[in-house]
Amino acid sequence: MYFLKSIIEQNAYSINSVVKNKFFKKYINKLTSFHYNKSNLYKNYLNGIKYNIKDNNNLDKIPFLPVRLFKEFDFLSIKKKDIFKTLFSSGTTSNNLSKIYLDKTNAYNQIKVLQKIFNKIIGKKRLPMLIIDKKNNLLDRNHFSASTAAINGFSIFASEIAYLLDPNGNINYKLLNTFLKKNHKKQFLIFGFTSNVYLNFIKKINTIKINKKNFSNAFLIHGGGWKKIEEKKIGRYKFNSILGKKLGIKKIINYYGLVEQIGSIFFECKCGYFVASSFSDIIVRDENFNVCKEGQKGFVQILSLLPTSYPGHSILTEDIGEIIKDMNCNCYGSGTRFLIHSRLKDAELRGCSNT
Amino acid sequence: MNEIKKVNYLVGKKAKLNTFIVPFSAEIIEFLDDLSKSLNNFNKKNISDLKVFSFFCRKNNILRLKNKHHESNSVRFGLGLLFHITPSNIPTNFAYSLIFGLICGNSNIVKVPSKKFDEIDIICKSINYVLKKKKHKKVKNMISIVKYGNNNQLTKKFSSLCDGRLIWGGDNTITNIKKFDTKPKNIDIPFSDRYSISLINSEKFLRLSKYKSLNLIQNFYNDTYLVDQNACSSPHLILWKGKFNLKAKNKFWLYMNNIVKNKYNPPLISSIDNYSQMAKEMIKNQNVHSFKRMNKSLYIVTLKKIYPGFFLKKTKWGFFYECNIQNLKNLNYVTNRSLQTLTYFGFSKKYIRSLFQSNNFNGIDRAVPF
Repeated sequence: MYFLKSIIEQNAYSINSVVKNKFFKKYINKLTSFHYNKSNLYKNYLNGIKYNIKDNNNLDKIPFLPVRLFKEFDFLSIKKKDIFKTLFSSGTTSNNLSKIYLDKTNAYNQIKVLQKIFNKIIGKKRLPMLIIDKKNNLLDRNHFSASTAAINGFSIFASEIAYLLDPNGNINYKLLNTFLKKNHKKQFLIFGFTSNVYLNFIKKINTIKINKKNFSNAFLIHGGGWKKIEEKKIGRYKFNSILGKKLGIKKIINYYGLVEQIGSIFFECKCGYFVASSFSDIIVRDENFNVCKEGQKGFVQILSLLPTSYPGHSILTEDIGEIIKDMNCNCYGSGTRFLIHSRLKDAELRGCSNT
Repeated sequence: MNEIKKVNYLVGKKAKLNTFIVPFSAEIIEFLDDLSKSLNNFNKKNISDLKVFSFFCRKNNILRLKNKHHESNSVRFGLGLLFHITPSNIPTNFAYSLIFGLICGNSNIVKVPSKKFDEIDIICKSINYVLKKKKHKKVKNMISIVKYGNNNQLTKKFSSLCDGRLIWGGDNTITNIKKFDTKPKNIDIPFSDRYSISLINSEKFLRLSKYKSLNLIQNFYNDTYLVDQNACSSPHLILWKGKFNLKAKNKFWLYMNNIVKNKYNPPLISSIDNYSQMAKEMIKNQNVHSFKRMNKSLYIVTLKKIYPGFFLKKTKWGFFYECNIQNLKNLNYVTNRSLQTLTYFGFSKKYIRSLFQSNNFNGIDRAVPF
């Protein structure tokens, strides 16, 4: 879409909130009507809920698609032949994955926006990156799981890449020590999924086999949620404090994002909040989908100006969060601040096969 | 792969599970009667489902069942070893499954939900207590209650040993369990996903007093919401017959909404489940006329028509479909193997019976008045 070019040239965080709200409202409405005209499935949905397309509906009036529908339907606002890249959500059963279709422009914009955000947080210089994962050799360039997509996305900002784990999932100390010896004097990055960082790095690493001081310049970025390690009762505070004590890693940033919505990646600021960039926003809704009052927890709805190849500009997630208004927090500009509390679990139903 | 984990034997340690005896044997009846008494002692919290179960196990009740089902002219024996895969959501279900296995003269391996339930603890405690008695030595060899998480290796092992499997938990569980090989003569008894429907005579319904209407709707509520609309007996489709369907629908759902709003308290995810279900219908179902969202736990999708081969996927948390029906002969469009119960209002039993008989409604298990 023609307007996207000008949007992604915007600064990632520094637009003031009045200006942002104005252009965000304008373009998110444009996107709604754009997808209505391009995707029959989306059109059926909006007709079904009797949505009234306007060019100035308020943000909270923008219709949302429940995130799990991306597992059921192939939402497309482009011709099939223009699909350049397909993203898949992580998951174990192959028939139950979200499928997100990007054309060249969307794939490019996604990287461009990630880069802008990354520059703001880490700086413009490319840094060496240690990835807490195995190297994935069998890469189909057109099909990306959420994990490979994230690793790929982040790794383009790296000056060199090392994978911590060998093919058996054990820490490769030789490789690690070579990497640290070479890079420890200046800032370097460590990237991994939250559960991976905990299970394969924090828990596994034998501090005798490494020099702890070599981690003092490390900047650790992790995301993907706490769900897998929830039963271990690990939260942000404990996670960060173990990393500090065991390895001397002080700079730790968590991020939140869903593969279903390109352009929405929220990094945690120093005060501990996720902050929306200029390209995205969030709304929190209660169980009746009314907008939550300040301090009230609810379902997180994410909005992004980037998705044009599929109608994913407004998605209702199954994450429980809360919007925070903290006048004392000036990190990363004036974007919406929020916390993610948990991901909803599949409920235990009553009822059974009747006797 | 750490699939082989410990099995937790709640009752019976790898017992000699090859005993099989005649149905309704005296040993089993006595064991159940003792169990009934012991349950009452252990049920300190007075959990109502346990009281019901204890009442079921009484000698008199089992003898009543014996009189009803036992054939004195033929000699029968249990099949051998049964493997029960019981549902994770009704804590006492495993116990009934076990009792049916025992009454029929079988040995039993019963897999209970991995989640902790007081009901399961108390029942197993009671069984263990009763089995300590010497007189129940034989029964002791017939019961093994196991608990384990997702462990296909164990399920595979038990499947290879048994002569019959009782597979609860619906279509997904059945598909999954059927992957595991059994002995060639093994018999599977699967409890597949099923749902129920209602048929309402709109004129008769509109003529009801407010008190009687509320009563009717309360009954409907009990069949549905008390089990999150997830029992096989919970109505999913409501068929309206008569001249004033629209008016009757409005009244029915309005009253229902008042009850649901005040009484029903589902988990958070139900909001998303229901909304997503509605969105799916809007996106792909061409048979949708319109939908109403009365509140987060009361969605009504009005369908244009029912047609031969009509099929409904089971919903939950108060998500209903409704449709007008002109000719009751067309009920055969919706009666199939997935259908359990038809609850009806405003028709005589005689009429419903003759309707079923003359039209060969296939698949449906029963029709009962509201």
